Amino acid sequence: MIQLTDISKSYGKNVVLKSIDLTVNKGEVVVILGPSGSGKTTLLRCVNYLEKPNGGEIAIGDYRVQCKRATKKEIHELRQRSAMVFQQYNLFKHKTAIENVMEGLVVVKKMPKAEARLKSIALLEKVGLADKLDAYPSQLSGGQQQRVGIARALALEPEVILFDEPTSALDPELVGEVLAVIRKIAKEGITMIVVTHEMGFARDVANHVVFMDEGVIVEQGPPSELFHNPREERTKQFLKRITPELNYSI
Amino acid sequence: MKIDPSFIWAAFVNLMSAIPTTLLITAVSVTAGFMIGLIAAFARIYKVPVLSQIATAYVTFIRGTPMLTHLLLIYFGLPVLVDALSAQMGWGFKSSSIPMIWFAFISFSITAGAYMSEVIRSGLLAVNRGQLEAAYSIGMTTWQALRRIVFPQALAVSLPNLSNSVIGMLHGSTLAFTVSVVDINAQAQIVASTNWKFFESYLAAAAIFWGLTLLIERLTAIIERRINLYNRGGVA
Amino acid sequence: MGAPFDYSYVFSFLPKLLSTLGVTMLIVAGSLLVGIVAGFLVALPRLYRIPVLNAFSMVYISFFRGTPILIQLFLFYYGLPEILKLVHIDLSRAPVMVFVILTYGLHTGAFMSEMIRASVTAVDRGQVEAAYAMGMKGHQAFLRIVLPQALAIAVPVFSNMVIALLKDTSLAFTLGLMEMTGKAQTLGNITQHFIEAYLALAFIYLVISFTLEKLLLRAERRLMRHEVPESAARKRFRVQEKLSYRRIIAGIRPEKGGAEL
Repeated sequence: MIQLTDISKSYGKNVVLKSIDLTVNKGEVVVILGPSGSGKTTLLRCVNYLEKPNGGEIAIGDYRVQCKRATKKEIHELRQRSAMVFQQYNLFKHKTAIENVMEGLVVVKKMPKAEARLKSIALLEKVGLADKLDAYPSQLSGGQQQRVGIARALALEPEVILFDEPTSALDPELVGEVLAVIRKIAKEGITMIVVTHEMGFARDVANHVVFMDEGVIVEQGPPSELFHNPREERTKQFLKRITPELNYSI
Repeated sequence: MKIDPSFIWAAFVNLMSAIPTTLLITAVSVTAGFMIGLIAAFARIYKVPVLSQIATAYVTFIRGTPMLTHLLLIYFGLPVLVDALSAQMGWGFKSSSIPMIWFAFISFSITAGAYMSEVIRSGLLAVNRGQLEAAYSIGMTTWQALRRIVFPQALAVSLPNLSNSVIGMLHGSTLAFTVSVVDINAQAQIVASTNWKFFESYLAAAAIFWGLTLLIERLTAIIERRINLYNRGGVA
Repeated sequence: MGAPFDYSYVFSFLPKLLSTLGVTMLIVAGSLLVGIVAGFLVALPRLYRIPVLNAFSMVYISFFRGTPILIQLFLFYYGLPEILKLVHIDLSRAPVMVFVILTYGLHTGAFMSEMIRASVTAVDRGQVEAAYAMGMKGHQAFLRIVLPQALAIAVPVFSNMVIALLKDTSLAFTLGLMEMTGKAQTLGNITQHFIEAYLALAFIYLVISFTLEKLLLRAERRLMRHEVPESAARKRFRVQEKLSYRRIIAGIRPEKGGAEL
């Protein structure tokens, strides 16, 4: 279980998150929606402390951290219990696909190399990249890179995987392959928090949808409710603007 | 020997008289070097037969050897060539009548030319090919496209490198003392040995060079800000 | 001026000049060592924005890049013993080589620190975030992720710097050190065949520059093997990339070095 309590964040006078509470149950897929600048990415990055929250409490499983006085060791623990898939993939540029997946296993989990290799091969097969083990990121398409990124996150067997707009940087024709992989692993009962603009994905895969705007959670609930029967005016307006039917770009 | 702070100022004032010489050498070598560099760069970009091979050899040789050797080779080699040529043609011109500073001018221009050609070449190559194509597409001639589209962009890209070349030549001009030209460095040597105050003299010389370098950098920054207006911001 | 030109002297001078190659290379190697240490020490306060030290680093870099190496040589040679005399350290008997290596080392250190800073900052911020997100510690992220990538970016600049240093060592003769240029001068004086002596000298410098450049290029290729090999489809993209590298290199004065074409 992931529990965020009273998380707040501001840059100087600019308040980005206003006392956010969020609970994610084990095995749940939570999708966070919201217009750009709503604070959804910041919230996600607070979970593994890539952004330092100004206050509140983060709990992953039974590990709790008071944000205000988090020590280096505590931050490190949080990060070991989570993994992240980035918008810009952020694969290690000087390492091959398989080396990217092995890196965390060998360095962080201290797994023997041979074992890490076998595990990495299995994971890359799972994301459909069995033939790209030794390719460098620069030799892969965006979609392929992002699938390596997902394998890299899966390898660590974290308690939660954080997805930060995993398909936003992709060419439209490559979005499908990445979403398919995320869908697949979602069915395996891995806890996930996903920030995305893909409404179709949110509707099909999420157990729980959170709508954020201006640094607060406006509304949350199961997708069927939130999409078809939103209570808040802001949610209604947002959904009206971004319905999948009208979601095309020039 | 004791450090004499007041002498640093005295030396500083004395060295000021040599600043024009240093600046003259720098200006001549940078200007002539730019023109040599332009020719060498174009010869190589357009792969002009023979000329491009000569340019390549020239740039390789100059960049692979110390500036001092260029100066020494010109100093000792040029008079031999000139005298031989003069005797052949019956000009009655003697190499000994060439003023010393000309050896510095010629040699440093040759040095600067090689470095400048690399700066110019990389600047020109950095301009996107699409820019040239766009210029052609609206009916410009090659010359118009180069002059109005390519050159301004190349200049903007090369400006930091050009500024560095100027500073390099300013610093390199200190070698002129080997051919008995009295620049700031040579003047510092004179002041140092006549007063037996080496440290103070060179401190003053260092201060002058430091100031000149900062001045060049400041000027570059100002020009860059004006020239790069179009380049500002944009999507990362 | 001098004896008539005789190219056979060029060949006979070559071995004589090469006998002092060791001195030149000692200066290069010693200065590189001093330069790398100084470079790191100077770069760290700038990378981590350590208050007072940061300002010191900036002055250091500005001074060593803002004044000619020749002036620096004299300044250290004459000034250092006098300054150290104030704290009762006697340097009057120290060999010239010490001053030469120290000066070239500190000079190179200024350029080196800029190279280090530029290369480290050139590594994408997302790389560090990815390392942290998977649970790496600070030093692990730096050593395993940032450093290898920064190294690859730095090699061409480093290559230029080593060659610039090699060429700058030709000034050490002004302090009476008998390295290659000093030797060439002596040979010229004895035989009066100056042109031949300097031609031989230039030839040796050229060969060393060229060799160093090729060796470092090989190192660069190895470190850069993760980059896409040149292909038509990506060429346009690469030009942009090179442009940014050029910016980095521009900040470090490339014209000081390079026999590269």
